[in-house]
Amino acid sequence: MRLARAGDRLRRLVTTRTSITLAGVSLLLSLLAMWVCVYVAGADPYHALTAMFRGAFQSRWALTSTLSEWVAITLSGLAVLIPYRAGFFNVGGQGQLEMGGLAAAVVIIYFDAAPALVMAAALAACVLAGAVTVGLPLLLRLGRGASEVTTTIMVNFAALRLMYAMITGPLQDPGAWYGTTPIVPSALRLQSFPAGSGIPVGLFVAVGLAVGAWWLLNSTVFGLHLRAVGGNRPAAAAAGIPAERVLIKAVLLGAALAGLAGGFQYLGHTFRVAEGWSKTWGLVGIPVALLGGSPLGVLLVGFLFAVLETGSRSMQALTGVPAALVFMFQGLPVIIYLALGAGLRRMGKAADSK
Amino acid sequence: MDANWWLDFLLAVLRAATPLIFCALGVLACERAGILNIGVEGSMLAGALAAVLGAVLTGDPWFGVGAAIVTGLMAGLVLAGMTAYLPADQIATGIAFNLVSIGITSFVYRLLLDRGVGLMAPSLNWGPAGGWLEPITARLAVIPPLTWLAVILVVVSQVLLFSTGPGLLWRSVGESARAAHAAGLGVLRVRSAALLGGSVLGALGGAALTLGWVPTFVDNMTMGRGFIGLAAVYFGRWRPDLVLFACLLFGAGEALAFRAQAAGAGLNPYYYLMLPYVLTLAAVAVVGMAMGPRDAGKPFVRG
Repeated sequence: MRLARAGDRLRRLVTTRTSITLAGVSLLLSLLAMWVCVYVAGADPYHALTAMFRGAFQSRWALTSTLSEWVAITLSGLAVLIPYRAGFFNVGGQGQLEMGGLAAAVVIIYFDAAPALVMAAALAACVLAGAVTVGLPLLLRLGRGASEVTTTIMVNFAALRLMYAMITGPLQDPGAWYGTTPIVPSALRLQSFPAGSGIPVGLFVAVGLAVGAWWLLNSTVFGLHLRAVGGNRPAAAAAGIPAERVLIKAVLLGAALAGLAGGFQYLGHTFRVAEGWSKTWGLVGIPVALLGGSPLGVLLVGFLFAVLETGSRSMQALTGVPAALVFMFQGLPVIIYLALGAGLRRMGKAADSK
Repeated sequence: MDANWWLDFLLAVLRAATPLIFCALGVLACERAGILNIGVEGSMLAGALAAVLGAVLTGDPWFGVGAAIVTGLMAGLVLAGMTAYLPADQIATGIAFNLVSIGITSFVYRLLLDRGVGLMAPSLNWGPAGGWLEPITARLAVIPPLTWLAVILVVVSQVLLFSTGPGLLWRSVGESARAAHAAGLGVLRVRSAALLGGSVLGALGGAALTLGWVPTFVDNMTMGRGFIGLAAVYFGRWRPDLVLFACLLFGAGEALAFRAQAAGAGLNPYYYLMLPYVLTLAAVAVVGMAMGPRDAGKPFVRG
């Protein structure tokens, strides 16, 4: 019995370690690919890549931008990771994030009260909006057996159009010629902490949430249930775990975090919900969650992606290498990671059957 | 709103629907073989750029179509290797593939712009036929070639899937890969063929977008049209004929949105653009997913 448990733990350690190694190898190989691309673009790869990494930190503005992106990407990554553990592939992070930002904007525009109260209400609204946005896909999954992948994608696009309709309609800044909400008054903005340091308050929350999620997934009964439900739902239900309730909680929690990401970005960084304001943070959460594999991994990979996102713009300015390279870097490591993982499993199977 | 307005509108609907039809058929072919082809958006984007490049470099839009087909084949090879043979998770692969595709196409596009390559593609139209056929062909030629191709492909795939032996086998792979394998079918071969064909169709959708409509390329210009194709497949209950109807409906939504934007009055055009997604969600809510191929999205490992 004890031996079996030790073996189990060893096996888990080995697989965790393998997946961390695989993620590292995939990221390195992708960097190498980026090197080649920069070379093809006619720039000096070393110069361009150092420009990229330096560009993410060189000025106050760049640093703040990098850290803000880190917040959004980390929260979006957790929004994918936590439901994923329960067997729900939340591709809807982008829509949940958009709706989070939009809900916060509605509060800021229409709710008139003491600044602290308005900000608290805006943050509550964005969390709620994220959870509400996943409601329909969740209901369809539970009630209709509909794959959440397709429904969350549909909701993403519907949410994006709704956001556009709002920022070019009722929520539009009357003084703007393009689709955007009015800018957040400075009294209602999330400040940096320590004051004037340029470190967004959201960062502390995001790191806290990642650590909390780590604890939740690895050291609580809920985390155990989550893994059981995600691994084998009938078996989990037979063991007396309220499978449906666990799934619902995990999904709502994840979507709420995506909504929070939107709220933080709106209140602390962009100050407007506008055309293209959210970039692809919600979408990037997917590769980050897959490569990170755990809440702390999400934090780590999220940082790398945030650095690349901000740094690529300075790379483009300095060396003329297109910043679009970053998208490649967001997708390529996942493909390598998946291929290596599946290849290893295949080899393992072949070895087993011999 | 006289006859001319309606003719214009119908042509606009067809123009908007054509890329969707290609993409939807690409998704349908894969789903019926048990593969969830999320990567169709990426294939479409790559096809769009390839079509513009091919057309600009050779001066002949038909070469653009050829370039899109070759690009689609390459995308299909990658996707087939990943999701059929290894097999890696289909959804994660598809999403990552789409990101890579946005990256590569935007990267190449910038490089070309920097090197001063103009990316205005000649649009694809019928040449004059001449001879005694002229009165007939002139009428048919109002509808662009790729639209004809899309409609023909709908008919062909409907017949192939539901009225022929190979179509039955194809569908059986999507319903139960294990049973099909037990019956001696090469599941992986069917799935690879589906991904190759599906990706070529996706790339043709991109070609229809650039050569048949907007004659140039911009970053991420497909704007989720691959996913509208996906929606059309679900809305159309995995049947080519109904999928065609769904694509026309969604195309009409897009055409209406442009018109509303141009008229500058009435409902915000973005509400029209929500139509495909909301309708699909409603369809899923009302009828559920029960009619979908049962093994779609599940990897198949022999043994």
